[in-house]
Amino acid sequence: MSSGSVSRPARFEAWRLNAVYAVIFLGLTGLLFRLLTLQVLQGENWKISAVDNYTFEVSVPAARGIIYDRNGYILARNLASYNIVITPANLPDDESDIQRIYREVSDLIDVPVGGPVTDESLEEAKLFSACIPGPGIAQMVALQDTLAPYTPVKIKCNVTEEIARTVQEKSADWMGVEVEVEPIRDYPTGSLTANLVGFLGPIPASQEEEYRALGFIPNRDKIGYAGVESSMQDILAGKNGSRIVKIDVAGQELGNLQPPRAPEAGHNIYLTIDTRLQMVAEASLKEEIEFWNTYFGKIRISSGVVIAMNPKTGEILAMVSYPSYENNRFARIIPSYYLQQLSQDPTKPLLNNAIGAEFPPGSVFKLSTATGAFNEGIVDLSTIIDAPGKLELCEKFNPNDPCTGTNTRPFVDHIYEKKPEGFGPISFLQCIAYSSNVCFYKLGGGYFDQIAQGGLGIERLKQYAEALGYNKRSNIELYGEQDGLIPSPDWKRINTGENWSTGDTYIASVGQGYVLATPLQILMSGATIANNGKLMQPTVIHQVTDGEGNVVPMWFNPNDYIKFDVTEFPTDGSYQISPFTPNLKWDVTVTPIIKGYSCDGGYCDLTDETKIIQPESIAAVRSGTRMAVTETPFGTLYKIFNNFPIAVAGKTGTAEYCDDVARAAERCNFGAWPTHSWTLSYAPYDDPEIIVVAFAYNGGEGASVAAPIVQRVIEAYFELKAIDIAQGRTPIGQ
Amino acid sequence: MLRSLSWRSFDFLLLGAVVLASAFGVAMIRSAIAGNEELLLYPTRQTYFVLVGLVVIFLLAGIDYRYWLSIHWPIYIVMMGFLISLSGLGQAAFGAQRWFQVGVLFLQPTEFAKIVIILILARYFEKSQFEPRDLKWLAKSLAWTWGLLIWILLQPNLSNVIVTMVIWFFMVWMNGIELKTLFWMGVTAVIGGTIAFPFLEDYQKQRVINFLFPDENASYGAIYNVQQALIAIGSGGLFGEGYGHGTQVQLRFMKVRHTDFIFSAISQEFGMVGAVLVIVTIGFIVWRCIRTAQKARDVSGSMIALGVATLLFFQGAANLAMNMNLIPVSGLPLPFFSYGGSGLMSLMVCVGLVESVAMRHKSMEF
Repeated sequence: MSSGSVSRPARFEAWRLNAVYAVIFLGLTGLLFRLLTLQVLQGENWKISAVDNYTFEVSVPAARGIIYDRNGYILARNLASYNIVITPANLPDDESDIQRIYREVSDLIDVPVGGPVTDESLEEAKLFSACIPGPGIAQMVALQDTLAPYTPVKIKCNVTEEIARTVQEKSADWMGVEVEVEPIRDYPTGSLTANLVGFLGPIPASQEEEYRALGFIPNRDKIGYAGVESSMQDILAGKNGSRIVKIDVAGQELGNLQPPRAPEAGHNIYLTIDTRLQMVAEASLKEEIEFWNTYFGKIRISSGVVIAMNPKTGEILAMVSYPSYENNRFARIIPSYYLQQLSQDPTKPLLNNAIGAEFPPGSVFKLSTATGAFNEGIVDLSTIIDAPGKLELCEKFNPNDPCTGTNTRPFVDHIYEKKPEGFGPISFLQCIAYSSNVCFYKLGGGYFDQIAQGGLGIERLKQYAEALGYNKRSNIELYGEQDGLIPSPDWKRINTGENWSTGDTYIASVGQGYVLATPLQILMSGATIANNGKLMQPTVIHQVTDGEGNVVPMWFNPNDYIKFDVTEFPTDGSYQISPFTPNLKWDVTVTPIIKGYSCDGGYCDLTDETKIIQPESIAAVRSGTRMAVTETPFGTLYKIFNNFPIAVAGKTGTAEYCDDVARAAERCNFGAWPTHSWTLSYAPYDDPEIIVVAFAYNGGEGASVAAPIVQRVIEAYFELKAIDIAQGRTPIGQ
Repeated sequence: MLRSLSWRSFDFLLLGAVVLASAFGVAMIRSAIAGNEELLLYPTRQTYFVLVGLVVIFLLAGIDYRYWLSIHWPIYIVMMGFLISLSGLGQAAFGAQRWFQVGVLFLQPTEFAKIVIILILARYFEKSQFEPRDLKWLAKSLAWTWGLLIWILLQPNLSNVIVTMVIWFFMVWMNGIELKTLFWMGVTAVIGGTIAFPFLEDYQKQRVINFLFPDENASYGAIYNVQQALIAIGSGGLFGEGYGHGTQVQLRFMKVRHTDFIFSAISQEFGMVGAVLVIVTIGFIVWRCIRTAQKARDVSGSMIALGVATLLFFQGAANLAMNMNLIPVSGLPLPFFSYGGSGLMSLMVCVGLVESVAMRHKSMEF
C-alpha cells in the first residue's frame, strides 16, 4: 500500500463534507424557491409585464375639421406639408451605399452629410430638435439608430412638392429615405379672420394627461389656442384612430394584436360671418384709422372694432378686431419671436377687442337710460326737458349732505363749447337724437323738481342696462369674453370704500364713470332696441357638418366660461348652434326681467314686483334713434345717413376715458380727457336686418370717426344683398 | 502495484449530464438568435466547441492528472505570463481586457487560470497534508493563489477573483482549517470589504449600488437587463411559452440572452420544468464531482475534483442568482449552457481532469 492510503481517514472529516453538501443543497434549494416564487406565485404579474413589453398602441391621426364662412368660403383648412425622413433600419447594409445615399440626398435637399460620426458630433447633434437645421444627415441617422431604428427621423422639414416628388421617384435607389406627409393648418383669409378663427398650437405640458386620456398624442397633435379653433376644439379635432400592434425591442411593428380602430374626422364648422362683409368692415376700419393717424401724424387710434349682426337672428356677419395678427405664421410651429412681439405689443393684437376688452360706452349707453326713464314713467313723449349747456350739481354722498360751493361741480353738455346756452328745452326724442348729456343727467339723476320720481336712479338704470345685455357675458361661442360693469352703490362701497354719490348717478346715466362694456354688449343693447325688445343670442356658428357634409345637430353650453361644452344633445344652459336656429335670449316686452324698485327722492328700495318693458317704451327709444338721423341740424347721425337710400337709425358715443395708456401719456387733463369713438346703427328702420357697431380707441368724436365706418359697412351690406339677389344666391344675412 | 487504466471507472453519468447540458445550451442559443444576424453562426460554432470539448474530456481523462502536477512550475509561469501580457496586449472589450484574439477565436486566459490555480492548490495541499493547519500553511496557499489572482484582479475581473477565492476557501475548509482561524478570517473579510469598496471601479460600485437600491424609475437604465430577465422568467410560468416562442427572447427585449441570461431565456420558453431541469443538471454534475473527490486516490485528485465542483457550483449558482436578481449582475456565464468558446472549453478541461481522477480512484477491489 502507498503512504497515501494511510492518510486517507484523516483526509476528509465527514462533518466538513456534510457542511459542503449542506451549502450546496441550501443554495440550490434557495434558487428553486426563488424560481417557484417568480414563475408560479408571481407568474401572472410578470406575464402582464411581458405583454406590456411587446404591446404598442399606434395612434392614427384624425383629420381636423374645416372652417367655412356662411357661404362655404374656406377660412381654415389642412394642407399637406412634406418632410424628408430616413428610417435607420431600412438603410442598405453596405456602408458605401449608405454614404452614396447621404451624398445624393444632401445634394437635393441642401442638408450637409455631416462627416464622420464621432462622439463629439453626436453630442452636438443631440442639442438640436427635429426640423431645426444644424446637424448632418449621418449624425441625425446615427442618433435615431440608437434610439428607435424603425422610427423615421426628420432630415428636412417642409420641402417643396417638387423635392418630395423627386425623393419618391428615387425610392428604389434610396432605401430608407421617404417622404412624410404632415398636415398643417392653413388660413386663406389670414389676419382678416385671425381673431375669430384663431390658430393651433402644441398641447401644453400642463394638460398633457387630460388630452392623452382623450387619445391625443402630445408633440404631434395640435389643439386650438384661440378663436373658434379653441372654442370648438372638441368637435373640430375628431377622434384619433388606433392600432394595437406587436413590436420588438427595436420598435418594428410585427402585426396587429387587435382589429384596428379607424380615425374619425373632425366636424366642419360654418361660421355666420360673410367674408365679403368682413373684408369691407376691416377695410373701412383700417382706412378710417389710417386716415386719422396720418392726419395727426402719429399713432392716435391704436385699436378698433367693427361688429355686424343680424338683429333678428343674432348671427354675427362680421367681427373685426384691429390690430390683428397673421395666424398662418403659426401653421407649423409658434415662432417665439413672433409670439413675443405680439404679446408685448401694447395694442394687444392677440386680443379680440370685440368681446375681450371693456371700454366706457359713453353716449351709446343712453339707450338704457332712455328706455328706463320712459318705461318708469319719468318722461313721456310730451315731456319737455330743459337742457342748458351746463349744469351745476352738487355731489351728495348722503341724502342730507348740504350743497355748498365746495361740493358743487359742473356737468357739461357736449355742445357747450360750440353753443354755451345748450340745446334748450327739448323733447325726450330729441334728447336721444341730439345725445344731450344734460338731458340724460337729469333723467338719470333727477334735477330738483323738474324730473318726476327724482330721476331713474342707479338701481333702476342697472336693471334696464342688464335687460339690454350689459353686465353679463353674451355666451357667444368664443373664449375670453368679458362681462363689462354696471356699478351699484354696493359695488362702489366694496371696491372703492366710498358711498355712492349723486354725481356717480349722473355720469353713469351717460355711460361714463364706472360703466364699462364690450363692443358686443353695446351691439346687443342696440339689437334689443332695433328688434323691438327681442334680444337674440349672438352667435358665430352657423352650422356644423360631418365629414360627408350632413348637418349635425349641436348644442353649445358655455358652462363657467373656462371650458365650453359642445354636444350633440341639449344640456342644462345650452343653446342650439346647428342646424342654425335663432335663439331668443329674452324678449323684454314679454319676460318680466325688470325688478321693481319703489323710488322716492332719488332713493330706491327693491320690491318683489317684476315687470316687462312696455313695447311703447322700446318704440319711443327706437324713434329717438331714428331721429338722430333725420333731425337737422343736431341729429348726431344726420350728416352720415341723411342721404342714405335706406332708413337708418342709430346712436353715437364719445366716451371719455383715462386708462393706463392715457395716463402715461399725460392726457388725463381735467375736463379734457381723451375719448373713444362709438357708433351703433341699424337698418332698415322699419324691419332691421343689419346692426353694426364701430369702435375706435382714442378715436375722438363718435359721429366723425366711428360713424363713417358703420356707414360704409351698412352700405356694403345692402350692395352685397343686391348682388346676391341679382345672382340668384341666398341674400347676405339670410 | 500497477493500476491499469480502467474505462469502467470513467464517470459516464457525469459525461452524460455534461452532454445534456451542452446540447440544451446549443438548442437555446439557436432560439436566442431571434433574427439577429450577428448571432446566426453561434449555434454551429457552439456545437463545434462541444464536440471538440468532448474529445478534450476523453484525452484528459486518459492522461494521469499527476502528470500536470509534476509540471506545475512551467504551467504556473506560462499562465502568469499570459495574464501579465493581458494588461498590455489583450483586446479591450467591454471595458476590461479579458481576451486574446487567436485567429477568429477569442481566448480568455482567465478561464484557464482558474484551472491552473485548482491544479496548483491541489498539488500544494497534497504536499502539505501532514503539516499543521497553522497560519503559515494558510498563507502559503494564499501566496500560490494570489500569484496568479493578482493579475486577474488588475484586469479588473472581480467576479472571477471571487470565484477563485471561493474555490480556495472550499479547499482549505476540506483540508481542515481551524474554526478559530475561520472566525478571524471572516472578521478580516468584512473589515477588508468595507475598506476596499471605495477602491472598486465605478461600474462595479454602480452594480452593487443598483442591486442594493434599485431605482424604480430606471426601467431603461442600468437595471434594464435584470428587469427584462425577471419578466422572462416570471412570464414563463410552469410550462413556458414554447421553444422559439418566448416573447422576451424572440422580440429581443432581453440582451445577452445567449450568454449571461440564457437561463432566463430557457425559463421563458420551457417554463419551470426547463428551469428545474437546468438546476438539477448543474446539481447532478456538482454531485458527481464531489463523489469523485471522495473516492479519489490521493489528496491532489480529491482537491482537483472538489475545486471543479466548487467552480461549477459557485459559477452556476451565481449566474442563476443573478438571473433571478438575488445578487448583482456579475458577468459569470451559466456553465455548459451559455455561449462562449473559451468558457466551454475550460469547463470541458475541468470535466476531463475530474474524469482523470475518477478513472484513477482508490480501488474498490481492495
